[in-house]
Amino acid sequence: MASKTSITRAITQNRVWQSVFRQGYPNTEENRAKVIMNTLFFHIHPVKVKTHSLKISYTWGMGVISAFLFAVLVATGAWLMFFYAPSVERAYNDIQALETAVTFGMLLRNMHRWAAHLMVLTVFLHMCRVFFTGGHKHPREFNWVIGVVLWVLTILLSYTGYLLPWDQLAYWAITVGTNIVGVTPLIGEQLRLLFLGAKEVGPEALVRFYALHIWIFPGLMIILIGVHFWRIRKDGGLSSPIESAEVQQGETK
Amino acid sequence: MSEQTQRVFPKGPEKTYGLMELVKGTSPMVDKGPEDTVDSWPHLLTMEVLAILGTTVLLLFWSLLNAPLREFANPDVTENPAKAAWYFMNLQEMLLHMDPALAGIIIPGLMIIVLMVIPYFDISKEDVGIWFASKKGRAIAIWSAIYTSIWLIGLILFDEYIRVRSLVSEPAVLPGWIIPIAVMAGLSALLYVLIRRWRPTRREVLIGFFTAFVVTYFLLIISGLFFRGLGMHLTLPWDLPPGALSF
Ligand code: HEM
Repeated sequence: MASKTSITRAITQNRVWQSVFRQGYPNTEENRAKVIMNTLFFHIHPVKVKTHSLKISYTWGMGVISAFLFAVLVATGAWLMFFYAPSVERAYNDIQALETAVTFGMLLRNMHRWAAHLMVLTVFLHMCRVFFTGGHKHPREFNWVIGVVLWVLTILLSYTGYLLPWDQLAYWAITVGTNIVGVTPLIGEQLRLLFLGAKEVGPEALVRFYALHIWIFPGLMIILIGVHFWRIRKDGGLSSPIESAEVQQGETK
Repeated sequence: MSEQTQRVFPKGPEKTYGLMELVKGTSPMVDKGPEDTVDSWPHLLTMEVLAILGTTVLLLFWSLLNAPLREFANPDVTENPAKAAWYFMNLQEMLLHMDPALAGIIIPGLMIIVLMVIPYFDISKEDVGIWFASKKGRAIAIWSAIYTSIWLIGLILFDEYIRVRSLVSEPAVLPGWIIPIAVMAGLSALLYVLIRRWRPTRREVLIGFFTAFVVTYFLLIISGLFFRGLGMHLTLPWDLPPGALSF
């Protein structure tokens, strides 16, 4: 197909294209290494991975899926922010308007809600997979600790978002939850006051939950996911039975 | 370079380079020859794209279902049952059986700490990368799941129809703290004794306990979410009052 090649050449053999993509199409060993190293969004990957860690039945893709769901939540959440104000007077009406008057508003709200629920589930399942395959063992201890924090953060993100529609479901769920916080030994009442900004769930709580939900918790999440990924690389990629074989060799020597 | 190494890795006369030195030690990628690795492009990236596409499709279909929006929040109208979000229903279920501080703060707080320190006690490297560590580990996991389910369901039914508080209500620390802690400690000890029959490694014991945690986590959510109706009493899922499912 000479014509196709010449079109491809016309597109790729010029200074503009080559200023964006520094290597040719990744079909040679060298270009495959380069595409990973030269591209911001790929360079978090190693150039080569163990075949063992590619088996679906090893990770079930739970980590990647959790990360992707988080990205979906950031994107759809940003869209929702265009149409929502965290005040008792407006919040509920804004959600109603989103469902009826905003283009794709209902779809985006549904996606945001269900992705959040799904993420709570996939992160927990990811934790189970890591434990049952021994992925938390030396040298990955600390990445597991970061993981536990990520799990708690995921739940807190979901929980702070739950209040925002300001309907009965939201109101009573947050009341039940913060009442539990209130019975913490010694500091319960103060903690509850810190979250709610008042004695009861009201406008102050809505503003605080909003701030936590749209910026403080997601910010922490982004930083910690960054550290989590960086440490996967520094800990030698994903765990695999090769490591246990090494230990046994070491013992016989 | 030693004689022996020279024999194993002779220097080719046509090559301008040669093996300089062999070093003992481990670094993350030492000993992982080219035979058990592949290029990330395309192997890993393809898998990631597939996972992302699959999730997107699932999410789009799921989003045909509308997110709930009930009436405007009203502090004067109590919901019955008033439920937290589904992923907290395990805590809310525990709340029915013990002191709120124990169920809502102390146990979850301890669980988070225990989870964090697991890798500092689970130190053998023999079974890294193997699901459930071994045949024995798998048997222990299955067995622990059955053990935990039976006890949990039994306890939930017991506390609903016979009620610990109707047997002992005074002083309040008995049903609130002492009995629940004794039951949890007793059942954990019994689980340990039973697992010991397999002559397990420490790793396999931990697998038994982690399984018990996961099963408890999900069973309590299921019971709190799908089986608690008016006044948080046990109900069958199809008899739940409208609005008892907190998604
Ligand atoms: C926002 C939440 C999280 C995201 C986005 C995330 C993402 C990932 C990804 C993409 C991997 C690569 C392998 C895989 O997909 O399984 C991974 C590995 C790992 N994760 Fe997570 N994770 C999260 C939460 C957690 C939690 C809750 C834990 C444990 C408590 C955890 C502990 C680990 C460990 C120890 C590894 C290395 C496993 C190995 O080498 O086999 N992560 N994570």
